[in-house]
Amino acid sequence: MLAELSIIAVRGIGIGAVYAIIAMSFNVVFSSSGILNFAQGTMFILGGFAGYMVIGESVASWPLWLAALLLATVIVAVVVTVQGALTLMPLKDSVEQHSWLISTMAVSVILTATLMLVQGPYSWTVQSPIPSFTIFGMRTPAPYALAVVAMFFWYFVLRWFLNKTLTGLAISAISQDMDAARAAGLRVRRLQLLAFTISGVIVGSAGFIVAPVVTLSADAGMRYVLHGFIAAVVGGIGSNGGAVLGGILLGLLSMFVTFQLGGAYQDILSLVLLVAVLMIRPEGIFGRSSARRV
Amino acid sequence: MNKSGTSIVSDTTADAVALATGPVAGPRLNSDLVQLVIAITLVIIFGLVPNFVGNPYWTQTLQILILYASVSVLQNVLLVDAGQASFGQGAIFGLGAYAAAMAFGLYQMPWIFAVGMGLVGALIGGIIFALPALRVQNFHLGFVTLSAAIVFPQVVVILNDWTNGINGIIVSVPQLTNAGLFGASYLSIVITCFGIAVLCFHYALRRTRFGRRMRVAAASPEAAMALGISPGVMRSVAFIVTAIGIGFAGVMYLPIVGFVTPSAFSLDLSMLFFFAIVVGGRGQILGPILGIIILYFLPNVVFAQFLDYRLLAYGAVTLAVVLLFPDGIVGSFEKWRIKRRHATPDGGLRLDRMIADDLVPAAVGKPVTQAGDVVVKVRGGSKTFGSVVALDGVDLDIRRGEIHGLIGANGSGKTSLLNVLSGFSRLSGGTVSIKDAEITRLSASQIARLGIGRTFQTPRVFSFFSIWDNLRVGLDANPNVDAQLKKRAGALKGRLDTQSAEWLPHGQRRLVEVMRVVLQNADVLLLDEPAAGLSPEERVRFSELLKYLRDTLGTTIILVEHDLDLVLGIADRITVLDTGRVVATGAPAEIASNPAAKHMFVKARNA
Repeated sequence: MLAELSIIAVRGIGIGAVYAIIAMSFNVVFSSSGILNFAQGTMFILGGFAGYMVIGESVASWPLWLAALLLATVIVAVVVTVQGALTLMPLKDSVEQHSWLISTMAVSVILTATLMLVQGPYSWTVQSPIPSFTIFGMRTPAPYALAVVAMFFWYFVLRWFLNKTLTGLAISAISQDMDAARAAGLRVRRLQLLAFTISGVIVGSAGFIVAPVVTLSADAGMRYVLHGFIAAVVGGIGSNGGAVLGGILLGLLSMFVTFQLGGAYQDILSLVLLVAVLMIRPEGIFGRSSARRV
Repeated sequence: MNKSGTSIVSDTTADAVALATGPVAGPRLNSDLVQLVIAITLVIIFGLVPNFVGNPYWTQTLQILILYASVSVLQNVLLVDAGQASFGQGAIFGLGAYAAAMAFGLYQMPWIFAVGMGLVGALIGGIIFALPALRVQNFHLGFVTLSAAIVFPQVVVILNDWTNGINGIIVSVPQLTNAGLFGASYLSIVITCFGIAVLCFHYALRRTRFGRRMRVAAASPEAAMALGISPGVMRSVAFIVTAIGIGFAGVMYLPIVGFVTPSAFSLDLSMLFFFAIVVGGRGQILGPILGIIILYFLPNVVFAQFLDYRLLAYGAVTLAVVLLFPDGIVGSFEKWRIKRRHATPDGGLRLDRMIADDLVPAAVGKPVTQAGDVVVKVRGGSKTFGSVVALDGVDLDIRRGEIHGLIGANGSGKTSLLNVLSGFSRLSGGTVSIKDAEITRLSASQIARLGIGRTFQTPRVFSFFSIWDNLRVGLDANPNVDAQLKKRAGALKGRLDTQSAEWLPHGQRRLVEVMRVVLQNADVLLLDEPAAGLSPEERVRFSELLKYLRDTLGTTIILVEHDLDLVLGIADRITVLDTGRVVATGAPAEIASNPAAKHMFVKARNA
């Protein structure tokens, strides 16, 4: 019983960290442009595929692993940046402000279909060069710990970036008032594109790091985008602190459900949780209600 | 601004001529009826011709085409008329199919009963989407529906004991597929009729009060609330109504195909329904049919050897359409047609005169309860956003039939106060009552129904409506339309029904909003910076119009405005706000000489 609880706790926090990272990558783009990238989950999967396509499914040496991490990050960052440019293009004429919902979904479908054609419908099993460690007497694969480290890393980096650097402050300014930011001479489009790139760096690297412990298959992307979104909603969209808490909460819950009922119930839990949160507290459990703009 | 400036100062004789010639026979603003006819013709051909030819392959393929197109038509209603993107209508379709298949195929219930079960199943799915729709919209619902599309096949597998899991269910309905009339099977006839019915539903919905109000709620939830519409209810109703139709399509899928498996209702199916609208043309009656032909029919029939690339094609075609011609095939054609044939907007359009000549006389004669009594009363009103205090112990009395100016620097709380009065935000402390009714806790739409109208800083004028329909939504919100108002409004219809609102200049848009509020029969009018963006001539006319409304209709007008000269010129009384507090209240002359407010005028004049 205790052993089961500790597995739920350790792996729940580990997988929750993955959801939190995806939620934070959502937030970066959302706060700069009001766009939620539906392709973010596929980009996460792409990070895993891109890295392990290079080093193969067997255990890689450290330098090779690091090189692959860098490569996966760069590839995803480039793809997300291109996607960002395409997504922002029709928004120039301000009449059509919701085309992003369609275009990011279309990109997600295109990437999924491409991965499916290249890889087939099978999921990959890949190895991490970092040995498993023992916690509470449980052997735990290293990527769970790496995910938690990456989560805190990105939380603090984003916090520093958005509050302390000039560019980060400019992005924060856009999220406050886009027209004012534009009037103040900020290059809004360029900053929004940069936000896409940053989100690509975050999910690309995360996708590679945790690939050994997640389902690495073409159609898994949709599930990750969903879990990332739920983490963001639970935490309050736009709040990275909320994303961390929301992600961990969701991770623990889904691990609990997996152990009690079976993995097949995970997605049902997500749907129920999402509907419940939106019904009861749409601004998120940790979110603040904000002034309504008219 | 040039165009509108010249048009409004153009000499009166020209105006008179423009009005006297009456409606100009312009091109149709929308081709809904033509599209409806084409769409119905296609459905009849697809549904019945293969029967006579006697080719089972074509019969089946085209029946599925009609079903999918019908689902897309309903999704089109949801996306454009109700404004909600759903990535999960495939799950609703699947719920309808599975509920019926289980009842008929596994539990041997009569077919007619199975149809009922299918509708109930789809309805439950619709309710799952409709509940969150009461509170949230747009991308939130996008994720809810996406989640449902992913979960549905999993649920079918999990409920193995009742659904037969991945093995699926065999359904044979010979009484539908074998027998028939005039060489067409009953199934073909039912499906053809269903396709036609769905198309007619979409066409007719747009011509009802309900359909117009739904579109307003989709385009601008704020404007909808100001018209007494509750946008959340509209969204929910749209999800539920479309779910029933989509459920029926799901049921009819059974006799065509003969069996169901969970994989038939994967996310791909939901994507097909959604992307078909985008490709065909969002909001166009004919759009979904063309979209399904391009995304479903062509890949399956013409490019069958590339079936593996189908999903890639969905995504790629949709992305290309969004980027290159976002209006879709039918939409782009429509835009081109209207641009080519539509003359520039009527330069002689004098909406302010129409208000004075046509509209107001129809409304005069209503008993105006004694002027002078207090109609809006705020006591100790305070509003905080986190640590920011927007309103701080505001007391305000507004008398019936007065024009009351709210002035103050930026951030002094004017707009916050206006938003509280119209219900767009709620007081953190204190009370508001309007016409002796306590409204502190009421929603914006409930307040609007008490006869409170408002306009917005950016006029909420809808380019997909004609000018007349833009006004008509005001009439739709009016609970007691009398014969005279109807008649006068009918005169406006003749002039404005063929004119698109798309090219209206800003000054005219402002007037459209005012006319809408008059038609709404609001006797308290909240105006949020109405003079912003108006030329000096337009400001003079606008001031005259407000005074005219007050004098003839006894309308109480509350005005937030930065143009102090305008406010001093027309207001009966003025309230000055500073950092959320009322610092002075009184007649314009008193305010201008009040030491607490004087500095504002100096600053404003120097600015």
